Amino acid sequence: MAITDSSTLNALFTQPAAALTGTDLQIHLPLTRVLLNEILAARPANTPIRELLIDPNDRNRFRVHLTAEAPIVGTVSRQIRLAPGMPVSFPDQPWLEFRIEEGLGFFDRSLISVLQGQIEKRLPRGIELTSKNLRIHVPALLAYLGYQQLAPLIESLEIKSEASRLLVNLHLKAE
Amino acid sequence: MHPVLQHLMDTNFADLSGSRVDGRIAVTDDLVNLGLHELVAALTKASPAAKADAPANAPENTPTPYASDPAPKSATPDPKALLRKLQVEKLQYRTESGRTILEIACAVEK
Repeated sequence: MAITDSSTLNALFTQPAAALTGTDLQIHLPLTRVLLNEILAARPANTPIRELLIDPNDRNRFRVHLTAEAPIVGTVSRQIRLAPGMPVSFPDQPWLEFRIEEGLGFFDRSLISVLQGQIEKRLPRGIELTSKNLRIHVPALLAYLGYQQLAPLIESLEIKSEASRLLVNLHLKAE
Repeated sequence: MHPVLQHLMDTNFADLSGSRVDGRIAVTDDLVNLGLHELVAALTKASPAAKADAPANAPENTPTPYASDPAPKSATPDPKALLRKLQVEKLQYRTESGRTILEIACAVEK
């Protein structure tokens, strides 16, 4: 499938690990709250999420303001505090995990547990929501987005939070 | 253009301040050669601007399809806007058998 009009870029995206063999790159991206919310606003339309805003805080925590269409109960709005988990490292640890620390009540957690199957069907492939965690299986999400060939390049991926910014540390390596 | 890229351009990439790239980019000869062929093809292809440069004494009934149209807005970002904010600490080019290698360390200024 052609990604761009450029045959060079298409060759690069089709087999990036082969085209970039020997590459070893550390990328540090401090993403501001404004930019993060621009990225979230550009999310796919075919999800039950109506509103999604992020507010990074210090001490490695961030808040997500979420309005979504939930099964049975209809529209729900919550402010959830999340803590990033362990860095992603391939192939042993493909999950980007965020621990839900605050914002879900007993009823919410019970409802999520009961409706786990329906929630999974409505979320994009690779994203899991339980009553305790939001987890992203990075290779599965990349495949869902059509970029599965980029997964082998990701040596590690870590997300941290500081005041008004999320810090993304990405290590790309092609051997 | 993707709305996130448009936002970055509209704000002069301020939201990427403090970003940093450090390491080695290696590209195979095959990809470099593919890029060279594509570059030559692009340079030798007649541009719309050249076509629009019609002779001044052309007959009135000569069609001038480009001269009367406003220039289309570019769908790709101008790399100069980002390059102006880059602090390049290291940029070394070398080759190995079958590969072109760029050692790089740079950051987007705060």
